[in-house]
This record gives sequence, C-alpha cells and structure tokens, in this order.
Amino acid sequence: MMDLAIRDIRNDLSRFILTAAGLGMLMSVVLAMTGIYNGMVVDATVLPDTYGGDLWVVQKDTQGPFAESSRVPALLADRIRAVPGVARTRSYMTLNVQHELAGGETLRFTMAGLSWPDDLGNALPLQQGRALRQPHYELVADRALGLPIGAALRLGRDDYTIVGVTSGMVSSSGDPLVFASVSDTLRIQNDLASEAMRLERVSRVSRVRRSELGRDPATIARAGSAAPLPSVAPPPVTAILVDVAAGSDIQQVKASLAAWPDISVYTIDEQRDLLVRGVIDRARRQIGLFRALLVAISAIVMGLIVYTMTLDKMLSLSLLKLLGAKQRVILRLILEESILLGLSAYLVALLIGELAFDLFPRRVLVQDMDRLALLGVVLGLSMVAGMVGLRKALAANPNEVLAS
Amino acid sequence: MNERLGKVVLRATNLSKVYGEGAMRVDALRPTSFEARAGEVVAILGPSGSGKSTLLTIIGLINPPTTGSLVFGDRPVITDGKAVVNLATMRRQQLGYVFQRSNLIPFLSAEANVRLALEIDGVSSRESRARARELLDSLGMGKRLAALPGKLSGGEQQRVAIARAMIHQPSVVLADEPTAALDSGRGRQVMELFRDSAHTHGAAVLVVTHDHRTLDLVDRVLEMEDGVLSERQPA
Repeated sequence: MMDLAIRDIRNDLSRFILTAAGLGMLMSVVLAMTGIYNGMVVDATVLPDTYGGDLWVVQKDTQGPFAESSRVPALLADRIRAVPGVARTRSYMTLNVQHELAGGETLRFTMAGLSWPDDLGNALPLQQGRALRQPHYELVADRALGLPIGAALRLGRDDYTIVGVTSGMVSSSGDPLVFASVSDTLRIQNDLASEAMRLERVSRVSRVRRSELGRDPATIARAGSAAPLPSVAPPPVTAILVDVAAGSDIQQVKASLAAWPDISVYTIDEQRDLLVRGVIDRARRQIGLFRALLVAISAIVMGLIVYTMTLDKMLSLSLLKLLGAKQRVILRLILEESILLGLSAYLVALLIGELAFDLFPRRVLVQDMDRLALLGVVLGLSMVAGMVGLRKALAANPNEVLAS
Repeated sequence: MNERLGKVVLRATNLSKVYGEGAMRVDALRPTSFEARAGEVVAILGPSGSGKSTLLTIIGLINPPTTGSLVFGDRPVITDGKAVVNLATMRRQQLGYVFQRSNLIPFLSAEANVRLALEIDGVSSRESRARARELLDSLGMGKRLAALPGKLSGGEQQRVAIARAMIHQPSVVLADEPTAALDSGRGRQVMELFRDSAHTHGAAVLVVTHDHRTLDLVDRVLEMEDGVLSERQPA
C-alpha cells in the first residue's frame, strides 16, 4: 500500500517544513527549560563539588553557606584538626564582588578562597595557565569573567593578577567564580578606606579611654596605632571543610564534632541536598510549571494543526471511505502525518539546542535522558493530536463526495 | 436483448427511500425494480430533485434503502432494506464511481490515484503500478502519469477518474453527471470511454446525465420523475 501520509506531505512540503519549524521552536523552549534547570543544579553544586571535604562545619544552628549566612572563627580549623580521624581542614570563604573596570564595564563575580598552602587550586578544571603559586595577589578566574591570563584587577588596595583560567565554574547565582587565597579573600572583604580606618582608630582610642585600660597611656597609644591588635581575633570565615582520614568513619567524626556547642556539622551530601532543595527549589518548581505549561500549549497547538490538516483532507478522506478503504488506511494516514510532524519538530528542537544553547548567558545542560524524555513527550503529543484529527477523519461521510 | 450484453450483474427489487414521517414524509424513491447487465451502459435521466442521486447513493451502497433488496451478481447485498454483507468491502470490490467533478485525491499523481483503488484492496504496489499504467495508457494518459490532478485539464481528470473506477474491474460503475463540467466534444469522448470500458471490462455502467446529445452512446435509457423510475421507450 502506498504511503499516503508521505505523499500528502510531499505535495505541500514547504507548509509542512514551516509548521514543523514553528512547533520545533516551541519544543526547543521546553528543551531549554529542562537544560536551564539542569544547568542551575550543576551551577549550584559547582562550589561544593569543587571544594569537596567530607564534613562542612558551620555556625551553630545555621544550614551552611549555601542556605544562609554563616560565620565561624578561622581558628576553628586548628581545633577541628585535633579531633581523632580528621586528616585535613580548610577554611571556606566566598564573597560577591562587583567591580568596575577602567572602561566603565562592570564585572560581577563570586570570589572563593583557597586554603593556602593546603589547597592551591590544583583540582580546578584549568583551561589555561596554572593554579596559585603564592599566597597573595594571584587569581584563578573562570573564562566567563572574560579576562585573559596576565590581566590585573585592582581589588581593595591591591592589584591581583590572573594566573589561571577555568571553565564552567560559576556560583549558584550564575556569576563566574574567581579563586584567591582565603587570606586575600578576607583582606578584600574587610578592606576599609583610609578615612574609615582612621575613624576606627580614633573610636578605638575613645573606647579604651572610657575603660579601665584607659589609665595606661601605653595602651591608649597602642589602641590608636596602625598595627593590628593582638587582642582582636582574625576575621571569621564562612565554614571549615574537614577531610576525614582514610579508614576513619565519617559519621563518627561528625558525631564528635556535632557535640560541640558552637557549631553545626553536615556531610557534603547534606550540604548539596540543602543547596538543591533549599536554594533552587523554588526556581525548579517555577521552571517545572513553565515547562508543563509549554507542553500543554504544544499539545493544543499540535492538536489544532493536525485537526486543520485533517479538515483540509476531508474530501479526500470521504473519497477514501467511498472507495471502501479500511479504517486503518485512514488511521495510518492521520497518525503517521501527526507523528512525522512531531518527529520533525523534535529534530528542529534538537538542532536549535545544538546551535543556540551555548549562546545563552547561563549554562543550559541538556542530557541524553532529557532528549529521550522529550522524544517520549513528542510521541505522546503526536498521538493525542492524531486522535483529535482521527476523530474528525473517521466522521468523514462518503456522501460528501457526491455533494461536492 | 442485445447479444453483446452479459449476465445480470445488478438486480434491484422494490428499492424505496423515504425521508421523514407523517406530514414531513418525502418519498424520494418510490418502489423501484430494475436490472443491469455486464457491458451495458444505462443512462438515467430526470429533472433535479427527481430522485436520481438518491437511487445512485443506494446502489452505490452509501445510503441504505428504506425497503427493497439489492443483488450484485449472485450475491445478496441488501435484503429488506438491511445490509447483509460488509458494504465497504462491496464498494471496494464491486463498485466504481465517477462524479461530475473528478474528485481525484489532490496529493496523489494520476497514476497513484488509479493505483489507490487496487491497493486499498491489498493488491501489491508492483502489480497495481503495472495495471494502472496499462489502463491509463489505453485511455491516452500514458504521458501524464506523474501529473497531480491540479495540473490536468478537466477532460484528463475525468479520464483518470474513469480509470480509477474501472481499474479493479468492478461489476457496476456509477457515474453522476460525469460530462456536466466538460464541453460537448470532451463530454462525448468521456461517454465513449464509458461505453468502450463497459464493453472491454464487462461492467454495467449507470450514468446519471442531463446531456441528451450523448444518449446515442448508451444501451438503455431510464427516466426518473418524482421518485418513479421508468424505462424510456425507443423513439
């Protein structure tokens, strides 16, 4: 039996191609939504995945740096290192920076601290250059920042040079990540203008004068000096990452640390889970609903298209019935056209994805499973749309041919 | 009886069609009986609304009659107004249709339109192609096989429609004003085609027509008026 659907499509190929292209664009948005969601999850977990660490120690009764503000003393790392089963500790510190370049261009990035000298950034996915070699004034930046190796950035009072370029390293908000030593990150965060520092010294002297220590001129002099005060603690960091020694039980170390009254402890999986569920859950639901809406719109549009295509063929369908064609001839014609339309639209959506998704400012990550799922959705939509057309087609009346 | 004609291929007995009831009752076709033989071309004449198309749709197994029986060859198809066989199968195998407008499927070539009548009954593509080409060639359409209906003239379209109606060698071909859209010359050519095809393929051809100029090409003339069918007596 000749393939009526193919012949019908071939008869008005340009119309079919345009229809498939339009539907394909609609489906590419469904695919993009999926990719954007996947990209969000990957982007959100870049930091914990990059830093690793078996346990994340954070401020008491907080859920960690990805969920809310957390501040722990930098010296906490030394205390933790003394716990049996702990192999290594690192400070974790991030900082959002918006920096204006000389040309007026604004750079927005998230600065993440590396615990010098334990962590030089060798585990980062470097595309060019190298990891940190010195504790200060060096940066490893993601290529999304748009600055080449050797470029200098003035942050706070100092110039920092980019020595390495990574790829795909962004924060959960999509900003490129820039890595520096924790001490540089803290220095940039706590940088004060000269006038602010002068006012702070004056304020400090005033506070000392009002206290019992104010009777000692030497103490007042030290309070007003530019040198750091030994009694003032170093600035806090966001979290302490703990690597458990090989052979030690992570849960046991966690239980030991969790008994301390000033901290909360999470495994990295718990942090990742909190991040995905907490930080991007609303965005996920929003995208999910938007995607469902798009699928519903696609279904309606496709149903209307197939219905219209069927209406255009009613006389031919009546004629087929008059000639005694079996129901399956009509069923095949309508369903095959609907499925071919859906598959063509699917291919257009894939093509658009291949060509356009890399141009999006944020990561659009489409996986094979997503493509397969979309194929399933497309086939489902095609069948539903085909049924809409088929209902009309099977109602074709052979008398129509005589009346025409 | 004409010696050339074969056995009876269509026998209608007391066929009638009534629409509505009571005061709204319309007798579209009053009890009618007739026969048609293989190779016979029968013209059915009558004014508009006389019941010609009703008769054609009943014989064409599109509309059921209110009463009466239809037998194709030796096979009862409708008995006492009820179908006793699968009508779609009967239409596919025993009937051919030609209309005022050719009603070819617009997205199929001339050849494919003709092949379709065979392939919907399970004939292989190879065989249907060979038979369609042979028949279209015999109808002078050998060079227009690949043309879509929209590219064919009215006469060419009717020749393709006749080929489609004849290709599966039906016992009865029904034609509803097949020459109405054609000029007199082409109309006569089409009627000659019907006559030749009926003689060649042994089908009974029932032609509803208003065109009195081609009546010399038919074997018999039936007249329909107010739902009553009668045989026109030779002049």
